[in-house]
Amino acid sequence: MRARRLQGNEELHGLLFVMPALLLLMVVLGFPAVAAGLQSVNLMWVDKPAFSLAAYRQLASDPVFAHAAVNTLLFVVATVTFHLLAGLGLALLLNLEIRGKWLFRVAALLPWTVPDVVAGLVWRFMFDPLAGFVNSAAIALKLTNEPIDWLGDPTLARFCLVLAEGWRAYPFIMLILLAGLQAIPRTQYEAARIDGASAWQSFVYVTLPNLRTMLIIALVLDTIWECRLFGMVFSLTAGGPGDATQTLPLLVYRQNFEFFNTAYSAAIAVVLALAMFTIAVPYLRMTMKQKV
Amino acid sequence: MTMQKQVVRQVVALAAVTAVVLGIGATPATAEVTLVYSDWQLAEPVWGRSLKEAFAEFEKQNPDIKIKTEAVALGQRDTRYTTALRAGKGPDVFALDANPIKQYIKEGWVKDLTPFIAKQGGTYLADWYPQLLGPVTEGGKTYGLPKNVSPIMLTYNTELLAASGITQAPKTWTEFREAAKKMTLATKAGGPVDQWGTLLVLAPAGFDLRFSVVLRGFGGDFLTPDNKHSMLNTPEAKAAFNYVIEMINTDKSMPPGVTQVDANGGRQLVASRKVAMAFEGLFTVPIIADMNPQLDAWKVLQMAPVPQNPGNEKKIRTTFYMKSIFMNPNTEHPEEAWKLIRFMMEPKQMEKWFADNNLLSARKSVNDGYKAIADNRFATAARGELDRAAFLPQIPQWPEIMETFRQALQAAIARSKPPEQALADAHVQIEAILARP
Repeated sequence: MRARRLQGNEELHGLLFVMPALLLLMVVLGFPAVAAGLQSVNLMWVDKPAFSLAAYRQLASDPVFAHAAVNTLLFVVATVTFHLLAGLGLALLLNLEIRGKWLFRVAALLPWTVPDVVAGLVWRFMFDPLAGFVNSAAIALKLTNEPIDWLGDPTLARFCLVLAEGWRAYPFIMLILLAGLQAIPRTQYEAARIDGASAWQSFVYVTLPNLRTMLIIALVLDTIWECRLFGMVFSLTAGGPGDATQTLPLLVYRQNFEFFNTAYSAAIAVVLALAMFTIAVPYLRMTMKQKV
Repeated sequence: MTMQKQVVRQVVALAAVTAVVLGIGATPATAEVTLVYSDWQLAEPVWGRSLKEAFAEFEKQNPDIKIKTEAVALGQRDTRYTTALRAGKGPDVFALDANPIKQYIKEGWVKDLTPFIAKQGGTYLADWYPQLLGPVTEGGKTYGLPKNVSPIMLTYNTELLAASGITQAPKTWTEFREAAKKMTLATKAGGPVDQWGTLLVLAPAGFDLRFSVVLRGFGGDFLTPDNKHSMLNTPEAKAAFNYVIEMINTDKSMPPGVTQVDANGGRQLVASRKVAMAFEGLFTVPIIADMNPQLDAWKVLQMAPVPQNPGNEKKIRTTFYMKSIFMNPNTEHPEEAWKLIRFMMEPKQMEKWFADNNLLSARKSVNDGYKAIADNRFATAARGELDRAAFLPQIPQWPEIMETFRQALQAAIARSKPPEQALADAHVQIEAILARP
């Protein structure tokens, strides 16, 4: 009986300790989320609040929204794949015992330090048809006779966007996987070698199973991150040419700040948040299971 | 007792002295007011300089009012203002072009200036061109004051035209296309093409003013006069749409990457002699002169009316650029803010704005009476177009309609869609936007 009371007291103390952080989270994250939800059904920040699902009905039949959703999906799949391949490849290389390893690690991390808007502007200058480095190099190397309009062609613009964001954000996955690689016991590789496993077999049967949890965490977090990416798209292509690279976060911005359709932009944001929450479920289940 | 009396007397005396001292401290010294003025033109070197000089003069005349300027990029202007205004903050006084005014009025983001104007006397607004007051007026109330104006004109480099044997500005769209083709060339024998006949601003910042003159020059328009329906299904709109696409994709008489060129990028290409003709307002001459003093823009550039097709010459063939000044409804200093707005509208300030920035005044008396305007060939050409210019549709849905159309044009240029399909899709989408409650 006494032990139970003590445990109850400890739980109460614990709750009191985390209460300030909980309250802060509720204000910082909870309020905007609730506000967006209320705004999307016309109950907040409007002259005459009245519950309405008009924004969601519009969303269901809007080809612009549908196109932006497809663009977002394609962009996220391509970018996260790029990040995974580049991140895993570099993590494997940086895990090797080589001289000056720290220098390579710092160099590989550098793109992650560049803000996405700045990275977008830098790549935009590089892809400029008349003054950009990419065309100057291509012409100097006689790869083309006339300037290529990198950001004026839908396919090329999508490629440029994936390349730029792929370059900027691969270190995130690389770091997580590098930490995972360093945690794999050497004995497992030695056992595999004694059993006659090739390097590929060691990678498939030792490295990948050990990285499974890290891989899932990295992929889920990266997917969520890329789903809500705004700065890079805005500064590099601004959604163009036409709406070829217009993603959902950009559409939210436009509807709110350029077209002043606040309820509609909130509805898109709510749908995007729900989609990201669904993606986050495996991550949440995994981290909660580990706690238990 | 005597002691007590003495103490009481001393306390009373001390209190009296303190009251006098405090009283002296609290008297007159008028409190200084700081007004925040924001304007996208503060971000441009030429305009920014001129505005700051004007504010220095205002501060001299009104020593109790200080002006704090806040520059904002045109592309980020509405994002900044609307976020601040929704939160009950924002600059005390700010500038807008004609496009978003109706939305600002609808949302209550600009203060009704009618009571302030009434205090100036009934004839205060009589000096303004009536057509320029339309965008700032709603339900009989005046929400802002137009400061300066320019119709968009065909702006060309006389030296580049002459070098290609073209003796006068194109008057028809056929002439314009031929001239553009002729002036698209390699300036170095055997080298790549490095000079182009023309360009259109196709990025968001500046697109509306430039493409609209092609559409209007062809006799078309975006919306019906009542702003209830799209007019993009008319033969004139189709002709203008195809014309631009063919110039870019077939003639290649616009520079590569033109779909990403914004207003400033376009001016830089003209300033560096890479482009011979563009559609610009009067404001462009001093900016280009500042970008490249070696060009000698005041001498080399010239302006002419927007081309038209013979037999389809509608009265309206160009679009108004206009800047107006507004007061924040949340300002704590409305009287001082009005003082500043009134100062900016003074004929002397309008004249200064013309002298510095080559822009016509929104007040008739200034344009008619200021000799420098009468003597300026750019201003003379532009004044002739004031009756042939119109604003873009003044409705809250306009920014979304414009972007829908711009994206359709870009999709057609990028060959994502056939031009007919892209224009038809834009027409349907715009009809849907207009049909929304």
